[in-house]
Amino acid sequence: MDFLLDGFVQAFTLLWRQDPAVFSAIGTTVRVSTASVLLSLLLGIPAGFVLGYAEFPGKRSLRTLVDTLLSLPTVFIGLLVYAFVSRRGPLGELGLLFTLPAIVIGQTILALPVITALTAAAVEALDRRLRPTLTALGADGRQILLTTVREAHFGILTAAVTAYGRVMTEVGISMMVGGNIKWHTRTITTAIALETGKGEFATGIALGLVLLAIALGVNFSLSLLKRRWQA
Amino acid sequence: MADELYRLKNLTAAYDGKPVLRIGSLVIEHGSAVGFAGPNGSGKSTLLRILALMEKPAAGAFRFRGMPLQEISFSQRRRVSLLLQEPYLLKRSVFENVAYGLKVRGVRRDIARRVLESLSWVGLDADFCRRRWHQLSGGEAQRVALAARLALKPEVLILDEPTASVDAHSAYLIREAAARARRMWGASLLIASHNHQWLEEVCERVVFLFQGRIVDAGLGNVIFGPWKRRNDGRVEKSLAADQKIVLPAPSGRRQVVIIDPARMRLSADRPLSGGTCLAGTVLSIAHRPHTDAFLVTVSVDGHHFNVRMAPTAFRRLSLWPSDPVYLSFDPHDVHWL
Repeated sequence: MDFLLDGFVQAFTLLWRQDPAVFSAIGTTVRVSTASVLLSLLLGIPAGFVLGYAEFPGKRSLRTLVDTLLSLPTVFIGLLVYAFVSRRGPLGELGLLFTLPAIVIGQTILALPVITALTAAAVEALDRRLRPTLTALGADGRQILLTTVREAHFGILTAAVTAYGRVMTEVGISMMVGGNIKWHTRTITTAIALETGKGEFATGIALGLVLLAIALGVNFSLSLLKRRWQA
Repeated sequence: MADELYRLKNLTAAYDGKPVLRIGSLVIEHGSAVGFAGPNGSGKSTLLRILALMEKPAAGAFRFRGMPLQEISFSQRRRVSLLLQEPYLLKRSVFENVAYGLKVRGVRRDIARRVLESLSWVGLDADFCRRRWHQLSGGEAQRVALAARLALKPEVLILDEPTASVDAHSAYLIREAAARARRMWGASLLIASHNHQWLEEVCERVVFLFQGRIVDAGLGNVIFGPWKRRNDGRVEKSLAADQKIVLPAPSGRRQVVIIDPARMRLSADRPLSGGTCLAGTVLSIAHRPHTDAFLVTVSVDGHHFNVRMAPTAFRRLSLWPSDPVYLSFDPHDVHWL
């Protein structure tokens, strides 16, 4: 067990000294995770709103499909994105393989069902009296849509945080389409996988602690926001 | 025709193919106050949502200010506002809830004054503005919801059982605010309520609905079955304390009876003539200013009956709440449904 204790001590030293390799992985993780969550929010909120609010043929089947995509394996997404962006793939000419945009594409695919499904659930959970109330107060279609999204903002915020946690902690996509290139596409999770394989527990533990700290920070911010909105 | 606000003809509404409303004919004049009474599930809320232009009828003719439904513009729809039985407040402050309707109409000036003014009409002061939606009692929430409608000064104010689940003080303030809307800007009032006294006092006309149809029985007294068949070809319903209502047997298996309050009589002594007579106690008295008539609610072993009385008959009896009275009616004056 001593090696674990030593690992923790060395991890704090690495963080205290702001080790460049560790901080490069942290920076990359924050950048790609933020970009992919923002992109999936942009696409997922309207999609989730339509799925939760509108009535159309095949809605139930689509909902089942979106719910199924929640458990999409990251390695499968990595495989798909790899197939598309590799030299032989349809997007091969763009030269995206082993770049940060490739990881962002993959992580957006991962986060999109989370945002869509949770937004749809949040909209579905809204009080059935909301729409007649807004109509009775004279809101038009656009105003009803915007107010409905605002009323569901707790749910949408939860969706964003859940998606952020999912993309930040995935390994498969980052490893397969990012290539785990030091100083370039190495993320916290791929670095942990590599350093553990090498027996370098200190770096792995340091990065794991950072991952935990980020998750804690995000959830704490969410809790503060919720409290502020309710006050 | 110029004063006609609504005209409904052979209108039906249905949910999942099952008809819930069948209106043969209904005309509502501009500036009038019309009450809608009837037991739960009689179609009052559905009718009000159609009148609020929020729901389309399944079939039949519907005209608002002389125009068919498909020709009614959005700005005309905004002249009508409905207050739901159970209010919904946006997850915002009281001020923002009341200001919402003004903001969606593009009103930018004078919002604060209009919000405070409409809140004062429902008995809420400026301190309430900062309260959040979850910091209000049921009665306060209902009053805030009403203030949000009053701030818009709608041409037609539709209230769906607004006092059903609020305390007596809130109910009083809601009734006063509705009366103010009519007095101040001539709003037409369409009110569904179980409070028959209120309907009698405010409305020129009360439409009684039963099983989705308009029944010509004023504020009808509904007596539900089961009715027991007797050997003499009549049916009877036992009330508590050994009192019975005995009526000629209806055709078929009809189980619900409606008695028009105008067909019932009250007396201090048991009448000598035939007919059905029940001993009861005066529960409440309402004055109907439009016709100078009185609506007396009598409790008979827990069952409530409305009796409409002319002023002379009422003053002759000199009734007060809790007075013992005899309620009588001709068994042939009932309407089986």
